[in-house]
Amino acid sequence: MKKQSRREFLGMTLKTGAATMFAGMFAPTATSVMGLGGIAHASNKKVSPFTFAVLTDAHLYDIPDHKFDAILEKGVADINSINPRPDFVLYAGDLGQSGKEAELVKGKKILDKLKVPYKIIPGEHDYYLDMGKAWRKLFGDEHWSFDHNGTHIIGMNSILVDDFWSLRNLTPLERMGYMEELECNQCGAWGVHSEQLEWLKKDVKNLSPDTPIVIMTHSPLWDYYPRWNFQTSDAPEIHHILRKFEKVMAIHGHVHQVVYNTIGNISSAGLLSTSWPWPYPPVDLPYPNIKMNRSDPGDFEDGLGGHTIDIAANFDGKLNYRAFSDLLPENVKRGIKL
Amino acid sequence: MKNIRGFATFKYTTLAACALTAMVAMGGANAKTPFTAAEAEDQKNMLLDAVKRGDDLWHNPKLGTNGLACGNCHPDGSATNPHTWPKYQTNLGKVGTLRGMINWCIAVPLLGKPLALDSEDMIAMEAYVMYTHRGVAIAPGKDEQHGAAPVISGPGYPNADSGNR
Repeated sequence: MKKQSRREFLGMTLKTGAATMFAGMFAPTATSVMGLGGIAHASNKKVSPFTFAVLTDAHLYDIPDHKFDAILEKGVADINSINPRPDFVLYAGDLGQSGKEAELVKGKKILDKLKVPYKIIPGEHDYYLDMGKAWRKLFGDEHWSFDHNGTHIIGMNSILVDDFWSLRNLTPLERMGYMEELECNQCGAWGVHSEQLEWLKKDVKNLSPDTPIVIMTHSPLWDYYPRWNFQTSDAPEIHHILRKFEKVMAIHGHVHQVVYNTIGNISSAGLLSTSWPWPYPPVDLPYPNIKMNRSDPGDFEDGLGGHTIDIAANFDGKLNYRAFSDLLPENVKRGIKL
Repeated sequence: MKNIRGFATFKYTTLAACALTAMVAMGGANAKTPFTAAEAEDQKNMLLDAVKRGDDLWHNPKLGTNGLACGNCHPDGSATNPHTWPKYQTNLGKVGTLRGMINWCIAVPLLGKPLALDSEDMIAMEAYVMYTHRGVAIAPGKDEQHGAAPVISGPGYPNADSGNR
């Protein structure tokens, strides 16, 4: 492993289960654990500019040499090729397809090739075979936060649903089968649920309103298209908890597409997958110019890619889609302001 | 009734559509219907049986060999643009049909064995895709962007999905 620059983790306050979260990529140093035991007051007049990268939705199958393995490898190699290196990588869920431990183990093996540390949250495809047991064993807590260069970064599990399986005596495999289907009409609306809302309240309680916030969830924090769970049912509560902040950048996986919205102090952007692109649902986009073109079914990399996010000194954020094929309109190629 | 599937379903459906058109054209209260309400209901149910069968196949990885199903990329039959076929399709290299494109998807992204074009499975897949786009205007040719989205906003049709299909 290459030696990490000191800057990569300056100010990073690792809280919930950080050691397991970084799972072998990151041995805590004196610098990185400085903030442990207390919430950092990021009384920043300015943010130290930095860049981080994002990958999501690999949907790996427990099949040897599956084509999605190579696409995730490509995403990891692409991020490793960026010079200077991003400070860290966030992964927005759905590393596996059917919740099997073997899928997650394979995914972790590939993600561990990242030359900078990464943090990850679960998606529904990672979760509903064993209710996240294997995922937690490999990656640690389902929600977490840390501070980096004056910015507070939050990850939460947004794919929790009410129990639809017990009364119907579904097996874990059957439960997973339902959840694997995007248009599952028996599964109910996803959310973060009350325990995580309480955690979030405490997590941000002592942060000053001028602290820049980045929050990552698997599903969007706005009502985009509930039929495909392009939504998080308790997003309004999350918005309420975060409303004191001047600026919140939300990023989400799940939609496998370029999409953007702003609600109050929160800007929100969808991410490209490394598996397959999804078409736009039958609703008007809030920002119709921020979208990707139709993808070519003959090009297995079309509509896929990774991302970097630049955070400027004044906390202007810029999301750069790193599409593997050329399907982005010029305005999206230039980067999306968050 | 349950023995009548596939082409039979299509034939009756077409007849029903013709009858409906005739009724609309005649308009008056004296318009005759060649089918009783019960017969029309039976015919509709036969179509829905095909749609359900197609829905199950659409979401079943057994058509391929790499775990993928049509529904991975095409939830609710979206991005299939059934109203634009036949059309020139670059990956087919010719003016092709919806069924031809379904087979291309089975063979290439899913690494499966193409279905016989007139098989019950293929007809069921087509029924599913067409049904999710009911009411969309026919417009043969390439769609420049994303095409029409499926019309579904609720459960789509009376179907308790089977799970783990």
